[in-house]
Amino acid sequence: MMLNLKGQNLHLSPDKAIFWEEQHSLIMADLHLGKAAHFRKKGLAVPPQILEDNLTRLRELIELYSPERVLFLGDLFHSRLNKVWEVFTSFLEDHAEVDFVLVKGNHDILPAEAYENSALQIYPDTLLEPPFVFSHYPLEEEVPGYYNFYGHIHPGVTLGGRGRQSVKLPCYFFEPTRAVLPAFGAFTGLSMISPGAGDQVFVIVEGEVMEV
Amino acid sequence: MGKQMGRKEQLALGTAWFEKQGWKPFPFQVKTWKAYLQGKNGMVNAATGSGKTYALLMPIMLEFVARHRHKDEYPADNGLQAIWISPIKALTVEIQAAAQRLVKDLNLGWRVAVRTGDTPAGERTKQKKSPPEILITTPESLHLLLGSPNYKEVFSGLKVLVADEWHELIGSKRGVQVELALSHLRHLIPGLRTWGISATIGNMEEAAAVLFGAEYDAGNWELIRADIRKKIDVQTIIPKDIKKFPWAGNLGTVLVEQVLEIINASRTTLLFTNTRRQCERWYQTIIDHDPELIGLTAMHHSAIDQKQRLWVEQAIHDEKLKVVVCTSGLDLGVDFRPVDTVIQIGSPKGVARFLQRAGRSGHQPNATSRIHLVPTHAFELIEAAALRQAIIDEKLESRIPYRRSFDVLVQYLVTLSVSGGFDADVIYEEVRQTFAFADITPAEWEWCLDFICTGGSSLRAYDEYQRVGLYKGKYYIVNQAVAARHRMGIGTIVSDSMMQLKYRNGAKIGNIEERFISSLKKGDVFVFGGKKLEVVMIRNMEVRVKKSKKKNFITPSWSGGRMPLSNQLSSGIRAQLTLVQEGKFLTRELEAVKTLTDIQADRSHVPTEQELLVEYFQDREGYHLVFYPFDGRFIHEGLSSLIAWRISQQQPISFSIAVNDYGFELLTDQPLDPSALLDPAIFSTESLWEDIRHSANATEMAKRKFRDIASISGLVFQGFPGSRKSDRHLQASAQMIYQVFKDHDPDNLLLQQANEEVLRFQLEETRLQAALRRIQGQELIIREPKRPTPFAFPLIVSRLRARVSSETLKDRIQKMKLKLIRP
Repeated sequence: MMLNLKGQNLHLSPDKAIFWEEQHSLIMADLHLGKAAHFRKKGLAVPPQILEDNLTRLRELIELYSPERVLFLGDLFHSRLNKVWEVFTSFLEDHAEVDFVLVKGNHDILPAEAYENSALQIYPDTLLEPPFVFSHYPLEEEVPGYYNFYGHIHPGVTLGGRGRQSVKLPCYFFEPTRAVLPAFGAFTGLSMISPGAGDQVFVIVEGEVMEV
Repeated sequence: MGKQMGRKEQLALGTAWFEKQGWKPFPFQVKTWKAYLQGKNGMVNAATGSGKTYALLMPIMLEFVARHRHKDEYPADNGLQAIWISPIKALTVEIQAAAQRLVKDLNLGWRVAVRTGDTPAGERTKQKKSPPEILITTPESLHLLLGSPNYKEVFSGLKVLVADEWHELIGSKRGVQVELALSHLRHLIPGLRTWGISATIGNMEEAAAVLFGAEYDAGNWELIRADIRKKIDVQTIIPKDIKKFPWAGNLGTVLVEQVLEIINASRTTLLFTNTRRQCERWYQTIIDHDPELIGLTAMHHSAIDQKQRLWVEQAIHDEKLKVVVCTSGLDLGVDFRPVDTVIQIGSPKGVARFLQRAGRSGHQPNATSRIHLVPTHAFELIEAAALRQAIIDEKLESRIPYRRSFDVLVQYLVTLSVSGGFDADVIYEEVRQTFAFADITPAEWEWCLDFICTGGSSLRAYDEYQRVGLYKGKYYIVNQAVAARHRMGIGTIVSDSMMQLKYRNGAKIGNIEERFISSLKKGDVFVFGGKKLEVVMIRNMEVRVKKSKKKNFITPSWSGGRMPLSNQLSSGIRAQLTLVQEGKFLTRELEAVKTLTDIQADRSHVPTEQELLVEYFQDREGYHLVFYPFDGRFIHEGLSSLIAWRISQQQPISFSIAVNDYGFELLTDQPLDPSALLDPAIFSTESLWEDIRHSANATEMAKRKFRDIASISGLVFQGFPGSRKSDRHLQASAQMIYQVFKDHDPDNLLLQQANEEVLRFQLEETRLQAALRRIQGQELIIREPKRPTPFAFPLIVSRLRARVSSETLKDRIQKMKLKLIRP
């Protein structure tokens, strides 16, 4: 699904990431890497295949769009340091041709040296790049002239029809001054949003992005 | 004291003790004494309060008396002689008192101890060092004993294991725990006797087979029936104005005036409700309508703090209460002499459950048990008529025993590895002697061993699952930390995660389901234990509240508790409807419900036993296809997804499905041609399980079953006491493992077990097959009513729905709109 916003061409991928053509950037939010390992430490069994799944999808996106840069809008890593972090940093090293940028979120609480020793570039709160401003949380105050892209909420909508049909789906949600990306990570849950007039909702369904 | 005692003398001693109490032994008691003293195993079929405890305690002690009579005095410190398993903690104290009384009168000097999860650590250590002669315990505590190092020594002199309330145990995995423990004890102690005590169930013989395992076929056992028939008087409360009585509903509080009349005419009344929500509402309604009952009315349900519950139970004994509003928590347990009246709110859904509750009144031998049934909607009048007939015909439900519960087996194997290790070949032979694992294959056994050693093929990478290791031919636990964690998790009851409910000052009120609390926020008011409480703070696994006077409040709805209509009642209802169609309104219940069945007959049809009614109509919601097999909710869940799936194979279509005990509804957005759709093949039993597995709902059911299996088998850890895991985490975790097993390890036995449990207990395969075969022989009556019928009404208003679809998600979405949620 192609979208022109503020004169920029955006590809909304069914893999829950946006490719920004002009800046050759791939944008995604809420990977929650290491969530599985974090739970397992607390005595909850979680299979390893989930981590592989996240990185496989990221690798495929990089192959598809050949971005110069990948932008993570926060909650990249779920919790404290564990083995998964090593897997991830070596993934970054394998893709040295790409810049990886993290705008930090509430779950990104690894020690500073962990980030320093990785190939990640870190922005603590926001990244300004006309005509957009990127953040993990929706900005409380508008930055005049800048359109805000954010993550954090794992947006989803409920669709309903005759015969008491209903379906819950993850979505992209565009408001007049800001937009939220669906969570990239598997097993991250949805929180339902309520769109108003003038908003645009794009749901992800069976490998396609559809406007509703 | 003189020479050794003969059988006759032993029996005389028992009878003499009875006569001293002013009693006379029942024939079944004497029969039990004889069979026991002959060294037989046995099953005593007797209800609570019939003297079943003395039927077995007596010969256990008489045998000892006979053996030591020639000595000057009875030896002390004889070690464990008898283990008495009781599923209900509340009963253990009563059994202990009975045993101690007999010990004292016979001058035996025996110790009688109770060991449950509530027994303090000091007492447990004492029991281990110097075991009592009689130990009254639960299946969980028995397994904990098998997990302690010196257990072989402790059990070495054991003569008998008694499984009390076996009808309760057999329908749960706790029964499998007893079977496994027995298989090991029988091997350790040659000649060990096994006795069961059970209330009447539909499958008494099978219950015996489960308990005795391989010894069932050896035939050295006896089934002894008490045959004490209780008179039961069932009174249905008939609404004064049936026209105003609801067609659907679950509270029944409109009949409160008639209920109060009964309460006021009785000494003490137990008012049974089916759910805790109903319990809270009825309590409130009673004190609102009769303020004089405030202070004389109490509530008893499992979420209420234990101290409070014990206080209520004592207050019943002391005749301080006029009425106790309760749930199934008071179905079993100690007898309350002052109770002379029982009221059942809503259909009990099963004959055995109803009789059990009726039996809570009128304890004296030959007294009549009186029970009043309060319908909550008009159709329960038909259920009442069916119930009464089933009692006359003595049609009681069966309890389906668990089989191939690999989760319990792997837990048991880890337990044995904790207490000194086990030899796999020996244990395999023992396990094969049980009913539950009689057909376990060597491959399955190897799988279980591999699972406790490595976690199985998909979890091999994690050391958390390497719990047991092989050392010099025996399997041992890998370290003390794993052992400690395992001991904490022994048991098969996986409850919903509960949060502690406390006042701001920290005073405990009770426990409440996390699932309910998670829907509340600070400032919300809800009713609990009859009090209106406002949420002040929710932190960790604790909720702090204060009393509130607000008018608007929520009554918590708890999961579980709602039982589906039993097989016996299902066929009973079909028989009653046949009477209706034949115009035989011979009972008060049917007479009262005639107004309603007349409307049904007028708008559509009332089916006989030889007919299956299907209604088809359209309204603004879509096209409704409603079936009425009257087979109960669980069977309808299976039938509805099966039929929806089979229709969806003929054309792309999406259904939303609602079920209740009487029928099910398939709702769709496309017009249908029912007479063309419903050819006999739709109800065929051919490829039944394949078709059911294809419908998405079977997967959902299996996922729910897997949550318990994951916990029992040790895949997920419920947490240490005091820092229990939240339900959300456990649920998420169990679901993820389920998915991974499904994708990467489809032969996993625990996954297969989840599917088998769905077939056996959720879809009740035997019943489902029987239902389809019956339907194939029935005449199909299709009606297209102009207005919704009384039968259809409760279904079309139901919000709880499952779905089956053969359209692609994309096609479905094209026809949908965004649903706006209120902020």
